[in-house]
Amino acid sequence: MIPSRGAPGMQKRIIEFLFPEETDKWLAVLRIGLGFLVTIYTLFLWSDWHYLFASTGKGLLSRQLGEAMASFDSPVIPKLGWLVTLGGYAHIGEDAVLSISWACLLSMGLLLLLGIFCRQAAVIAWFLHLCAAESGGLFAYGADNFITTGLFYLMLSPLPDRYSLDHRFLKIRLKDASLFGFWRRVLQVHMCFVYFVGGLAKCLGSGWWNGSNLWLSLTRPPFNLISPDVLVRFKYALPIIGISICLIELGYPFFIWIKKTRLIWLICILAMHAVIGLAMGLYLFALVMIVFNLAAFGFGMSKGPTVATDAPKVDSGEQHPNVSGLRRGASPFHG
Amino acid sequence: MPSKRIYASWFTAHFFLLAAVCAAGIFSLVAQGSTILPSTLEGCAHKAELVAAFILGKEAGASSPVRQGIATYLHAAGIQTGYTFFAPNIPGYHKLTLELYYPDGTVEYDSPHVSGKAAALRLASLLDRLADERYEPVREVVVKMLVLSVWRERPEVKKVRAIFGTVSSPDITDFEHGRGESFQPMFSYDFSVREGDTHDDAHIP
Repeated sequence: MIPSRGAPGMQKRIIEFLFPEETDKWLAVLRIGLGFLVTIYTLFLWSDWHYLFASTGKGLLSRQLGEAMASFDSPVIPKLGWLVTLGGYAHIGEDAVLSISWACLLSMGLLLLLGIFCRQAAVIAWFLHLCAAESGGLFAYGADNFITTGLFYLMLSPLPDRYSLDHRFLKIRLKDASLFGFWRRVLQVHMCFVYFVGGLAKCLGSGWWNGSNLWLSLTRPPFNLISPDVLVRFKYALPIIGISICLIELGYPFFIWIKKTRLIWLICILAMHAVIGLAMGLYLFALVMIVFNLAAFGFGMSKGPTVATDAPKVDSGEQHPNVSGLRRGASPFHG
Repeated sequence: MPSKRIYASWFTAHFFLLAAVCAAGIFSLVAQGSTILPSTLEGCAHKAELVAAFILGKEAGASSPVRQGIATYLHAAGIQTGYTFFAPNIPGYHKLTLELYYPDGTVEYDSPHVSGKAAALRLASLLDRLADERYEPVREVVVKMLVLSVWRERPEVKKVRAIFGTVSSPDITDFEHGRGESFQPMFSYDFSVREGDTHDDAHIP
């Protein structure tokens, strides 16, 4: 919370940290990346979509069971069952509703990719993806939560960006630069939480220090894409890689903010996710993390491009001499 | 642009909740004794986990608007679970084997399956969840539905025994000595056809 009295210096630093002026490049990366992710998410699940989300007795499990479990947390969490009920009023069957939902989600992914009706597409994509993730809650894994989070931030972000067709052809004005900065900060801080917690939890397990967890992760189905015989050849490297993963993740919230170490940390974390994706078959998970990292700390962080926005500058009472990246004094680790 | 105070307030509340979710996840691991930390910390971790649960409204009644409001927000933002992936240690994976008994005495083995690799990953995630104590109340109904999915493809089958268990992979030294995976059954259920319906008996070894 911003203290209003007694600490004007602190208030200024918090404002500077939360509302740096930024370009919209990162938002374009997030939009295009999430558009691509939503598109491949729907395409990958096409053959099993009905099987996963059908009602009791028709599919692999039961959509109603997942929805009942989500309703235990809260009855107002969106679910595919809402759309099926709605379709029932219009005499549209369950199969047709599921097909329409799938087609809509695919269309929203493509619209986000191109930047057409960005805000509407982001809201609908978030809603439909959330419905699918909650109705299939028993089948969900980490990538689903990250996609929901990404779409949640995207729909609240100051869309459109300059690379979207909305801006180029419909001439929709860009928003205030400090708003771009705020939402990038949200994503940046979120990534710091993700890696710090992930790194800390790994450090608390003995298996990450002696390489056994890495061995087990890479040999357990369905992640066993590499032959164990190949892994055995690199057995002396496994503890080093395991410890490196712990340190890279745990150190992320510190070293990613420091200009000198940012690039190397970013490269390490991107390489880690690329290897996870290729070696374990977690393509969607790897892609979502790569997109988040590129949007949060990749584009426009190391150099200082000029902020160009159509919107009149909002008087924040602050001066922003360096509009890109983290200014001295804006880091949470500066006093 | 709306007041920066509103944005700042949302930022604080959002990350406060995320911190509570993440803390609850970490404290839960420590409280379960699955970390390298000394066991004397387990009691403290359990208390800290309860504090985090209280912050998230989980100690309130199921119909509490505060609890439901927080839960809805967490799900909407995709932050209802922490980020303790593949940590602190990697457990064995889980397998559901179905013994299909035909009227002529033939026995076949199968397991629930999906078409695509993306869905196969989700099926593995479901099986790992079933082993979790928190999912104990829904285990039987989930297994029954998975059995039904296979039964629909083979309506002539008269009885199905579903055996769920953990598969422990060998460590690298054991693998080098030629040891393979080992299967430890956790529970099993028998399902049989009874006039158009199924009858089930649970066997928990």
